[in-house]
Amino acid sequence: MQKLGDYKLPQFFNYPPYFTLQPVRDTREKQIQLWKELILDYCRTQKIFVIGLEEDFPLFSNPVIERSLSHEAREAFLSILVSDGRAEWLDKRHRKCLILWHRIQEWANIILNFVKENGLEDSVMTVEEIRSGIESRGTELHGIDRTILMRALKLLEQKGKLAIFKGTTADDEGVKFSI
Amino acid sequence: MGNLFVKKPKITDVDRAILSLKTQRRKLGQYQQQLEAVIEAEKQAARDLIRDKKKERALLALKKKKAQEELLKQVDTWVINVEQQLQDIELSSKQKAVFESLKAGNNAIKAIQSEINLEDVQKLMDDTEEAKVYQDEISAILGEKLSTEDEEEILAEFDNLEAQITVQDLPEAPASVPGHQDEKLDLPDVPTKVPVAPDVVTDDAKDSAKSKVMEEPVLA
Repeated sequence: MQKLGDYKLPQFFNYPPYFTLQPVRDTREKQIQLWKELILDYCRTQKIFVIGLEEDFPLFSNPVIERSLSHEAREAFLSILVSDGRAEWLDKRHRKCLILWHRIQEWANIILNFVKENGLEDSVMTVEEIRSGIESRGTELHGIDRTILMRALKLLEQKGKLAIFKGTTADDEGVKFSI
Repeated sequence: MGNLFVKKPKITDVDRAILSLKTQRRKLGQYQQQLEAVIEAEKQAARDLIRDKKKERALLALKKKKAQEELLKQVDTWVINVEQQLQDIELSSKQKAVFESLKAGNNAIKAIQSEINLEDVQKLMDDTEEAKVYQDEISAILGEKLSTEDEEEILAEFDNLEAQITVQDLPEAPASVPGHQDEKLDLPDVPTKVPVAPDVVTDDAKDSAKSKVMEEPVLA
């Protein structure tokens, strides 16, 4: 089986037809399903949050069989993910796509668990600290995309689990938990 | 977002202070990284200049590196200070919380105690005492009804039980005795020679010694 770094690629990655959008509806649906799973799984294991359509993305080409996905195909697969709620376009021209291998709601739950496990129920943390501080090291939150983190935090704010606030002088944002 | 039923946590000045300190800590961390990179770069530059035999320039690079290192040391102490203050804030707010809890507990105790009247308690205790005396009287009267026959029966049962327990509590007889015979006894060997009558001389010597002792006071 072919590998990408330490990631094991599925069988279909070596079949040229999977790299061209299939004209027949049934086969196309099957193709899209496989690609969707592959993209989500790859991003989750490699901690990739944003896919740029015009940039090189290792998953979208297979040099062994000399095939790569066309721009149209890339956009088609990602659009399906967007309509499934597992991705979001970051710009109107569909050049950058945010991949949500955890939905925002799931990320929010991960944050809640993190807060509970670390006894931070009524503490103040900076947003940056959640992403890169020593407390979150070794958790899924470490290195999380800032856009996703802010969205999850806003969701929790709506539920009254925390308040987002800005410091007096600093440019950093902080969060006060109240769980 | 404008949900009126959701209670958002209140942001206090303390929270803002913590945020500010934490942000400062992160920025100092970045600054440290920056300084470390500069130091490394100057070191590399000095190395290259030495290789190119440009002594003056190399010394300058090393001087700059030294200055950056001093700065880094300074920043290190700042970071420690910031950390220290963060911990102090945390400690103080915990202290305050503990104090508030203790105060609330104290008030609760006072409130409960204020509901108890000392006189009432005294009266209650007296009443209880009276009730107890009454109870004892009843018991005494009822106790007399216990016939001597019953007493005898109870005693017999007691003896029976006691005997049973004694039997159960006896230590178990050892399973095997032979083990003891293996023990080494430090006994003298059986004499191989036929015993001879004790030497007469020894007795004589003893006697002479005795007589000597008895004689001495006389001599003195």
